[in-house]
Parts: sequence; structure tokens; C-alpha cells
Amino acid sequence: MSEVETPKRPSILKSKDVRMTAILWVIFTAIIGFVASTVQVRAMGAPASETMATTIKMMRVFTWAASPVAGLVAAMAATTLLAKRHYGDTPPEDADHEIRSSAKASSTWLVVSAILCLFAVIWGMIVLQNDNAALLNAKAMNVNVTGQQWVWNFDYVDNGGARSQDLYLPVDRPVVFHVTSKDVLHSFWIVQMGIKIDANPGYVTETSVTPNKIGIYDLRCAELCGLYHAYMQKKVHVVSQADYDTWIQSQGGKA
Amino acid sequence: MTTLTNRPASAPGSSAPKKALMERLNVFTAFGLGIIMAVVFWYAAKALLPANTDGSFIKTNRDQWVLLSMIGWFIGFMTGIGALIGPFRWLLGKDLNHDENMFYAGKDQGVKRYFRYTTDHKVVGIQYLVVTTVIFFVGGVLAMLIRTNLGHPGGGWLQPQTYNAIVGTHGIIMIVGTIIMITGPFGNFIMPIMIGARDMAFPRLNALSFWLIVAALPPILSSFFLGGIPTGWSAYNPLADQAPPGMDGYIMFICIFAISTMVAGANITTTVVKMRAKGMTWNRTPIFIYGTVASVALALPAFPVFFLSQVMSALDRATGSTFYDTRGGGSGWLYENLFWIMGHPEVYVILIPAVAALMEMAPVFTRRPLFSFNLAIMGIAGISGLSVLVWAHHMYMTGWAPLLAGPFMLTTELISIPTGMLFLVLIGTLWRGRLWMTMPTASIYALLWNFMIGGITGIYLSDVPADAFLHGSMYVTAHFHYTLMGAGLTGAIASLVFWFPKMTGRMFDKTLSWVAFWLIQIGFNVAFMGMFMVGLAGQPRRVEAYAHMYSQGNMITTAGAYVIMAGMLVLLHGMITSWRSGVMAPMNPWFGKTLEWTVPNPVPLENFEVLPIVTEDAYGYGRKQS
Repeated sequence: MSEVETPKRPSILKSKDVRMTAILWVIFTAIIGFVASTVQVRAMGAPASETMATTIKMMRVFTWAASPVAGLVAAMAATTLLAKRHYGDTPPEDADHEIRSSAKASSTWLVVSAILCLFAVIWGMIVLQNDNAALLNAKAMNVNVTGQQWVWNFDYVDNGGARSQDLYLPVDRPVVFHVTSKDVLHSFWIVQMGIKIDANPGYVTETSVTPNKIGIYDLRCAELCGLYHAYMQKKVHVVSQADYDTWIQSQGGKA
Repeated sequence: MTTLTNRPASAPGSSAPKKALMERLNVFTAFGLGIIMAVVFWYAAKALLPANTDGSFIKTNRDQWVLLSMIGWFIGFMTGIGALIGPFRWLLGKDLNHDENMFYAGKDQGVKRYFRYTTDHKVVGIQYLVVTTVIFFVGGVLAMLIRTNLGHPGGGWLQPQTYNAIVGTHGIIMIVGTIIMITGPFGNFIMPIMIGARDMAFPRLNALSFWLIVAALPPILSSFFLGGIPTGWSAYNPLADQAPPGMDGYIMFICIFAISTMVAGANITTTVVKMRAKGMTWNRTPIFIYGTVASVALALPAFPVFFLSQVMSALDRATGSTFYDTRGGGSGWLYENLFWIMGHPEVYVILIPAVAALMEMAPVFTRRPLFSFNLAIMGIAGISGLSVLVWAHHMYMTGWAPLLAGPFMLTTELISIPTGMLFLVLIGTLWRGRLWMTMPTASIYALLWNFMIGGITGIYLSDVPADAFLHGSMYVTAHFHYTLMGAGLTGAIASLVFWFPKMTGRMFDKTLSWVAFWLIQIGFNVAFMGMFMVGLAGQPRRVEAYAHMYSQGNMITTAGAYVIMAGMLVLLHGMITSWRSGVMAPMNPWFGKTLEWTVPNPVPLENFEVLPIVTEDAYGYGRKQS
């Protein structure tokens, strides 16, 4: 995309400005890309599913794809800021040119932004397609999730209808959640697994995930649901298949 | 419309000898009659409506009483302010004569005309400015209460019910404040002068649109005493159906405000289309005008939907209809669709005029022509067109129509192309300009920075799989504050400083404007970077308590919020002191080329002694390359 750096006709370029912008562009792109992707990825924490790992990767890639654009805007703005400042109550004399447009700069900018946009859309569509396909996995275990003000209930329908208020899942086994609500809207969010779906009264919505790491994770309500919305959170226990079988029997279900 | 003729402002006209009814009405009679009517309607409703004992979808009569009482308030207020005098006089065949129209225009009334149903666009502009400031003050106080409550983890010192009410009211009142912050004060005061008109196309509608906003405020503020708005600004059903009567305040607020926006939108659009000065072709029309028109024209399709969605909400609450209740064949998803069909164009209603205002300032402060005027128009038009096709990206995670996720992802991300055009126009204009360092100049930089962050984070959110993680978290809250506040409000504050000399006749204090600028921008970036962090780590939005792992990020956000507050108070102080005793402004302090700088201070009643003829656009800065 190096042609974006010279958005003016070469005959009237001040080479000093262009050099400065080019150097700043490289520096800003590197800083923005590195800081933004590293900080974001670190803040998101370790993934507990392939879905979440894909999301983290996607945010990293999108950040790097966006950083040359952000870097160029910053570089051009900074070049002007560093070069020609004027203070006072009266304006400086007019600029030494009257450029009103540049077909080259505009068309380059349009093409590059269109390509970046399509890149993001296509990437997103592919990931989305995979996520949707997982819903149709016949081998997945099914859990019915019911939200109500301000608790969650989990029904393990494949295990003889055991019910719990903390979620227990066996590791490495695909699971499809059938989510509904008894009263108002809630949103079923397992933070470290990167999945979310609203719980609507009168409808059943679905989402699916394959937890791939044993541990305890956070389940939060992500849709304002009234007085104790902030407290409508539970733990998700991802355990080995053997531990899961033991636990489900202790709940009166069958393994 | 008869109000303004081509007479010069100095034409003699004596006011009527005895005080007519229309001369007695003002904001005080409006409040008086409004309160009386509210009380009358309350008791009438209580006495006349049958009690609900049939166990249907309505639980009590409270909502009927509250809604009717607020309708009474509305009728009383609008009658008391004199909004009905014009139509009634016309109906009786006694249309207003020239002197009465001049009285309506506020001729020779000094400060009193600001408290009346005045049709002069400059008075309406100042009224909008003051009311916008009041709205931001109220919304800002609520924001500080929220941030103070979130200063430490676990439950804060506010009760959950109070906290939720504050969050909801902060949200909706700030949305309304940001919608009117540019097209209200500057769209009314500056825009007609900028296009070389003597007033708006429909001056009485102009006054109407302003006083409707004043009438809308008491219902929303009264909601605090009626149990609050527990739903956030989006008022999703069925939570809204379950909510206390405070929700009725929200509904009336939106209904009245939507009428105001529709009236203002029709008025501003007509004015720009029909009343531009001779020679002001579309190619010579300043970009701020395009921004204003795009904003209000977008509101024209959006706000009727909002109005309707709230009428249906009100019927569900008060009459047991079931538009949004699945038990009665309705759907909460219907509400979400209606809400966001308004809600997404609405963010561009806020953003576009802010960016356009800074585009208008960019050539003035870089002393070079606007870079690619055509691209700027394309960008504004492209955003406006696409913005009505993207609403369901707010609903990726609702479970409604999963097949539509892909198409809405496409339309949403396509918006990045016209948005990119606006960026190119701004940096193209900065490039090789002579930077005149003023507070508005710095605001262009602040907008580029904030809008870049707001825009890129918007791309993650528009992406369905990433949204599955980010939706409903503090990340979303930080994202839209970056766009609406970081970009939108920054543009509005720059507009205030830029057009202050024309509106008040005095310069905005330079030092105070700079101090406010830095405090606001630094505080803003600290506050909302912290919010991005806790959002990425999984803190949901609209929570009054959070886990200990988020305490650091929330503390940073709260600290930043206090810095913003300091900046806002400096700005308010600067605004008041400069208005009272600032340096008298010359006619054209910024040496700009748009028409508003060709009229004297204070701007005379009908703006122009002789209507201007425009022969070139307003961006003829820069010297020819030798």
C-alpha cells in the first residue's frame, strides 16, 4: 500500500514532508499495531475454547490490518503539526498552494479501504460459517439453559434430566445450549469460551462450543435484566469426562 | 408562512397598544398551565377510568394515570407557551398581522424574547444552546454518580434500583443532548446565515421544535420519582413492560422529542433546499450545511419509528395490548428491530454534523482549500444511505434471524468506506496547511484520534464472531463513547468556541478553552481506555457491582471521569464568563469565508440588509502555485 503515502501530485510535493510522513508512518504503524494487538489480546486472557482462540486471533489480525491506515492518518497529521504551527489572534498567511483534490490519492484510498473492508467481511463470514456448522453436530451433548431473574438453571437433557445452577461440562466434548428465559431478556455469556446468545421468553435460541481446557470459568448475564443483573453470574466447571460422569450421577442423572 | 418578509430589519413597526394574550405568554405561564393540566388529567383519569380487576395483562391502573397526566402536562405546556395561538388565529380567520409577526420574531423585546415562543432563528439557536448545556449538565452529573459508584468493586453506595435508574436516564438524556447539540444551536443560529437566508423556512415550526424539547424534559426527570427507568436507554421489552411508572416518563419523553426532531428535520431540510442565497449552487454550499441536512434528513425516517415503538410500548403497559409480549402473540424482537431501525441512523445523526463542522473549520485554520469537497459529500451521503441498512448488527446475539447476520455484517463493514472518505478529507486538508493553533484546530486532531479508535473498535464489534465475545460488555460502552463523545462532542465543543463570537458577540476565553480541551481529552482517553480493558476482560455493561479483577480498570476509568468533569466545569465557567464579559468579537475573528462572517455583531433581526449573491465556494484559501 506504499502508494498511499504520496497523495499529492509529485510536481508540487515538498519532499521533506513526504520523507517525514513516510518515516512516521512506518513508526506509527508498528507502534499502533503492536500496542493495540498486544494490549487487547492480553486483556482478553487465555481462551478456553477453539471459538475464543479464533476470536482472539481475528482481533489480532484485524488490528494489524487497520494499523497502517491509523498510522498513515497519524503520520500525515503529525507532519503538519510538527512543521507549520502558527500562534496568535490573526491567521498565518495562506498556504502556498490551492490543491482541492487529487484523483490519485482519492482512488488509491478508496481501493485500499474497499479491499480492507472485504478482507474483514470475508474473514468474518468464514469464521461465522464454522460456528454455525457446529450447531448441527449430531454428536454434541445438549444442555437446556433457562434464565430467570436472577439465576440460571441448566438441564442436562442427555443425562436423564439432571438440573444444576452452576454449569458442569466435560472437556473436549461439543455441547449445544438451548437457551430460553422465564421472564425478561437475559444473555448467556461464557466469557473465556467466547460464546453468547440472548435468552428470550417464548423462544429457544442456540449456541454451541467445545470447551478444550479443564478449569473454572465465568458465566455472566450480558443483557440488563433488572435489579440484580450485576449479580446474575455463575461458574462454569470444565472437568474430565470421568469427573463429569461422577458429578452427574451425584445430581441424580445418568452418565 | 407569513412571518418574515423582505423588509429590512429597521422597518418601523409599533407594538400593539394593549397587551394581547400572545404577549402575556411565556415559559412561566407554560409551566403553570402544564402543571395544572397534569393535575387535572391525573384526577380525571383516576376518577373516570375503570379499575382493572380482570387479571389480564395489566396489573394496575398506575400507568394509565401517569401517561394521561403527562399528556395533560404536554397539552397544558404547549398551550401555555402559545404554540396554539397561530393555528387558532388562522382558524378564526384572524391571521397574525405584520406587527404581531414581528412580536413573534422577538423584535425589541431584549432578554424576554428568550423566554417566549419566539420565531427568530437566532433566538431559537441560543435557546437550544442553553437547553443543550442544561441537558449535558444533568447527564454529566448522572455520569459522575455512575463512575463514583463504580469506584470500587462489589456493590457501591447506591441502591441497585437507584443505580439502574441513573444508568438509564444518563443514557437517554445524553443521547438526546448529543442529537441536538449541533443541529440545535448551530443548525438554527448559524446555518440560515451561512446559506444567506433571513430566517428558516418555517419559523413557527422552529419555535415549536424547541419548546417541544422543553416540554419533554419534565417527564424524563420525573421518572426518578416514579421508580426510575430500570432498562438502560434502549428500554427493551419485556423489562420495560415490567418496569415501574418511571418508564412512562421515558415513553412520553421520547414521543415528544421525536415530534420535535421530525418538525426540526422537515424545517431545516426545506430551508436548505429552498432558501439558499442566489448563486449558492450545491457545489458552493458549505460542507457544514451538508452535514446538518444529512443529520436531520436521517432523523426523518428514523424518529417516526422510534415514536411508534414507544406508543406501542405505552399501549402494552397501560392497556394490556401485547405488541411485545410473546404470551399474547407479540415479540420482544419486534421492539428490538423498531428500536434499532431508529437507533443506528441516530448515531450518525449525532456524528455527521460534528465531523462536518470540523471539516468546515479545517480550511479556516489551515488556510488552504478543503481537500476533496466531492469526497466529503460522497462520504456523508454514503454513511447516511448505508446507516439505514445496518440496524440488526445490534441484534447479532439476540437469536433473531441468524441467517441475517452475514448480510448485516456486510452492510456494517461497508460503512468503513465512506467513513474512510471523511478521514481522507480531514487529513488531506491538514496536509501542507499552515496550522493556526486554536482550540478548534486541536479539536480536529482530537477527533481524528478518538474517531479512529471508535471506528476501528467498531469493526471488531461489527464482526459477528468477535461480537459474540464483546457484545453487552463494557467494550461496547467504551466504543460508543469514543464515537459519540470523543468524536461527536469534541466537534460540538469546537463548534461552540468557533461560532461563539457570532452567537454572543464575544470571544470565548482562549486560555479557558485550551485548559478545558486538554482536561477533557486526556480525561476522556484515560477513562475509556480503562473501560476498553475491563470490557475485554469480561465485565458486562450496566452492572452496579463487578469482580475484584476489574477494580484496577474501573478505578482508572473513574479517575479519568473526574478529570473530564473538571474539564467540563472549566468549559462551563469559560462559557458563562466569556458570555458575560469576554472580549468583544470582531465581525470575522477567524477570517473565514462563509457568509455568517459577513454579518455584523450582534446579528440584526433579519440577518442581511441586502441578501448576498454567491459567486464562489467558501474554500478559496491558499495562493496559486507560481
